[in-house]
Amino acid sequence: MNFFRGVMGGQATGPQPTGAETIQKLCDRVASSTLLEDRRDAVRALKSLSKKYRMEVGTQAMDHLIHILQTDRSDSEILGYALDTLYYIICNDEEEEQDENSQKQADDLGIKFTEQFIQDPEHVTLLLSLLEEFDFHVRWPGVKLLTALLKNQGVQVQGVILVSPMGVSRLMDLLADSREVIRNDGLLLLQQLTKGNASIQKIVAFENAFERLLDIISEEGSSDGGIVVEDCLLLLLNLLKNNSSNQNFFKEGSYIQRMKPWFEVGDDNSGWSAQKVTNLHLMLQLVRVMVSPVNSPGATSSCQKSMYQCGLLQQLCTILMATGVPADILTETINTVSEVIRGSQINQDYFASVNAPSNPPRPAIVVLLMSMVNERQPFVLRCAVLYCFQCFLYKNQKGQGEIVATLLPSTIDANSISAGQLLCGGLFSVDSLSNWCAAVALAHALQDNLTQKEQLLRVQLATSLGKPPVSLLQQCTNILSQGSKVQTRVGLLMLLCTWISNCPIAVTHFLHNQENVPFLTAQISENLGEDERLVQGLCALLLGICICYNDNSLENYTREKLKQLIEKRIGKENFVEKLCFINKHELYSRAAQKPQPVFPSPEQMLFDHEFTKLVKDLEGVITKTVHKSSEEEKKEEEVKKTLEQHDNIVTQYKELIREQDSQLQELKEQVATLSSQNEQMQTTVTQQLAQIQQHKDQYNILKLKIGKDNQSQSGSQGDGSQVNGLQTEELTQLKEELEELRQQHALLQTQLADKDAIVNTLVRNLCQKKPVTQIMFNCLL
Amino acid sequence: MAYAYLFKYIIIGDTGVGKSCLLLQFTDKRFQPVHDLTIGVEFGARMITIDGKQIKLQIWDTAGQESFRSITRSYYRGAAGALLVYDITRRDTFNHLTTWLEDARQHSNSNMVIMLIGNKSDLESRREVKKEEGEAFAREHGLIFMETSAKTASNVEEAFINTAKEIYEKIQEGVFDINNEANGIKIGPQHPTTNSTLSSSQGGQQAGGGCC
Ligand SMILES: Nc1nc2c(ncn2[C@@H]2O[C@H](COP(=O)(O)OP(=O)(O)O)[C@@H](O)[C@H]2O)c(=O)[nH]1
Ligand SMILES: [Mg+2]
Repeated sequence: MNFFRGVMGGQATGPQPTGAETIQKLCDRVASSTLLEDRRDAVRALKSLSKKYRMEVGTQAMDHLIHILQTDRSDSEILGYALDTLYYIICNDEEEEQDENSQKQADDLGIKFTEQFIQDPEHVTLLLSLLEEFDFHVRWPGVKLLTALLKNQGVQVQGVILVSPMGVSRLMDLLADSREVIRNDGLLLLQQLTKGNASIQKIVAFENAFERLLDIISEEGSSDGGIVVEDCLLLLLNLLKNNSSNQNFFKEGSYIQRMKPWFEVGDDNSGWSAQKVTNLHLMLQLVRVMVSPVNSPGATSSCQKSMYQCGLLQQLCTILMATGVPADILTETINTVSEVIRGSQINQDYFASVNAPSNPPRPAIVVLLMSMVNERQPFVLRCAVLYCFQCFLYKNQKGQGEIVATLLPSTIDANSISAGQLLCGGLFSVDSLSNWCAAVALAHALQDNLTQKEQLLRVQLATSLGKPPVSLLQQCTNILSQGSKVQTRVGLLMLLCTWISNCPIAVTHFLHNQENVPFLTAQISENLGEDERLVQGLCALLLGICICYNDNSLENYTREKLKQLIEKRIGKENFVEKLCFINKHELYSRAAQKPQPVFPSPEQMLFDHEFTKLVKDLEGVITKTVHKSSEEEKKEEEVKKTLEQHDNIVTQYKELIREQDSQLQELKEQVATLSSQNEQMQTTVTQQLAQIQQHKDQYNILKLKIGKDNQSQSGSQGDGSQVNGLQTEELTQLKEELEELRQQHALLQTQLADKDAIVNTLVRNLCQKKPVTQIMFNCLL
Repeated sequence: MAYAYLFKYIIIGDTGVGKSCLLLQFTDKRFQPVHDLTIGVEFGARMITIDGKQIKLQIWDTAGQESFRSITRSYYRGAAGALLVYDITRRDTFNHLTTWLEDARQHSNSNMVIMLIGNKSDLESRREVKKEEGEAFAREHGLIFMETSAKTASNVEEAFINTAKEIYEKIQEGVFDINNEANGIKIGPQHPTTNSTLSSSQGGQQAGGGCC
């Protein structure tokens, strides 16, 4: 300050120097002074001028300041002043409450100076290396300066940091800094650094960001923590949103389990500060990022599984049923639960079992539906409940059955409020929003479920005393024809289309009422205003479905007759044009994007996501069917028949092949047994041959003995003859035995030959069968 | 799943040598003949058992192209193990090993275990690099060596597991500072007292694992 006063106030006699002049003097000083202290004072003075004369300091001093950063590395004080000064000239959000114009000017200035600074990427690298300096006076302004650079020119600065070795890793170290200010500003830096750059997001995650951030969050008191928790959550969102690799890492690192305690907010209602609401909002968003319907199905379902296993889903349901939860947190919790259960049977089953702690306990689903059809509830909350209900029924045949069952005469429980009752009440209430929501909700109970479409036909409604009951289907068309609000009619038409599509019995039921077809044709053929176009389109779709899924069981309304009707009353072209009104509607593509029903205003609540899929599937089919002449249809019918015949033939062949296959198997087994028998016999034969040989040998020896004995007959002849007589006897016996054995051997050999022949025939058979089967398969292919 | 240790790996080497296929074979036990070019870095994980202990492997598969080289460098410091892969049917990929190794040695911590892998051993007829050459290179640079096939899965398990064994031995010898997570090693939540939120099933497994 001394120096500053010296420069500014010391020349009282001469004319006051302009800011620019003073700054130039200071710059010269910074550039030329050989004394560190001198330079330091000059930089400090520049710093104090940099707010008032931002433009001048930036233009004149930037290069000098950068030079200081390069050359005065040993003096942390001067480095600190230089970094501070650079920060002031580059950062935009210092001054508050400016008018729009001057704010824009300031922004432009920041961007200009940022560009100037990063023109040489080495400057960013220099800044990174300065961050290794532990001294607070260097590291802190360094962090702030880099954050400001990232804010102004994110993509370029990110690029430089990414290619500088260990750049990202070094910045991650800031989170471990024991000085809270640096850690907290480090969080802000990392937020800017990770914005929209998947590569950096992955490196940051690799550097244990999840672990660190989750630790900080719990140290700071989770949702009760301050803005630091919020900053950690924002950074986590940056790292996980649209980054499947990081999501996988988060899941594999068992970090989902660590989210559960976030939601242990209890029933104490001790306070919902604005910060707590913000924190919880972000926490819920993080859960949703992991199970978003846009993620790959496999990834989402494995996250859903761990969310149930670790109790996170249960914890969320507790919040759902707790009292005193702020409306927007409640809404977001409903949306989150929706996505955690969507398409996951275990989670859906659990959700169906949740009860509200009321007296008597009511199923959570019923309590939620009450809000959906309640006009006084906030619009976003009602949308959230609808979403939750849709997600509960998504790919959940069991759940669909349970909901429809609450409407069926046999299973209805008159004593308590049921989901079905609430939906019917909503369907026919005076509030068009309730009509729409209930219709769409009911349609989701029928989605891809033929059984429930047929079951729902059984539902009868008591309208007013003394009058006969009317079917739910009929009541829907009745209301349709009474010309209620567009929203109501659109909802009902979507329900009807979903209901009768793919369900010929429902089509027949619908056509059975003589008034329905004339009503539809009238709607479609009339020339109505802009507002009615969507209704016209939906009527065309409904009529089209009546043609496509028609089993010709009603003589007056066969497929052919309905087509003729269109041709005569409406005209093919006109019909198709009306049909196209649906997907040409401005709100259609919005709804087609994602499953969650989000609408800027209640009046724009017109399309349901699942319904847009149905339109996509049927539109082309209906157009083709309508355009086809009856002859073409007949031809097609014939082709179909031929195809069916072909199918039959193929089936027959398949049967044949199956038979032959089993025969083949049998024969193979036979061959195997015979071969082993054959083997056994061969062993026996070999054994016997050996025996014969043995006997032969014995015989020869004996023969030899006899010869010897005869030669030495000189002495005792009597003895000799006795011996000889004995030998002859034995000899005869042996000869006989031998003969017997020979016969046996011959016999065995013939047997063997027989078996061999059998084996050969079988093998030949086998070989013949094979090519036959091969040919069969070729036919099939 | 509870684990005794967690090791971080990276897979490096020229593009097309089969890094992504090796990871897929190891984590999913399947081979994809047409594999997408890896953009940047992809993540995979699997649990293995060594010495009766559960060890979690977290693996980062990198892109081999030059343009991603600087991104890859960011992963060296925090990895405990690296699989350096070449393709035995392409000599150039073998010739580039020195560059890869220099890069790795320069940016990693000095204890990082490097496993040299000659991949595509199923393509014997197209072999350009002899097994002996791979062995010699490994010996010369102090690496472990193996030939693998991501296609037939031959030696794939072994490559990942042997690397882990080497790291594990270094831990037993006290070479690694296991308290510094920056080395790519983390001790599992073994002691129930340190983390009270663990579910009971995990506690049971830990008790089982701790007995050895
Ligand atoms: N025959 C054979 N082909 C392989 C093997 N490993 C990878 N490939 C093929 O090599 C190509 C490149 O594989 P990839 O994993 O994308 O290589 P990366 O660029 O290193 O990740 C692919 O076409 C793979 O199918 C192997 O072990 N044997
Ligand atoms: Mg790859």
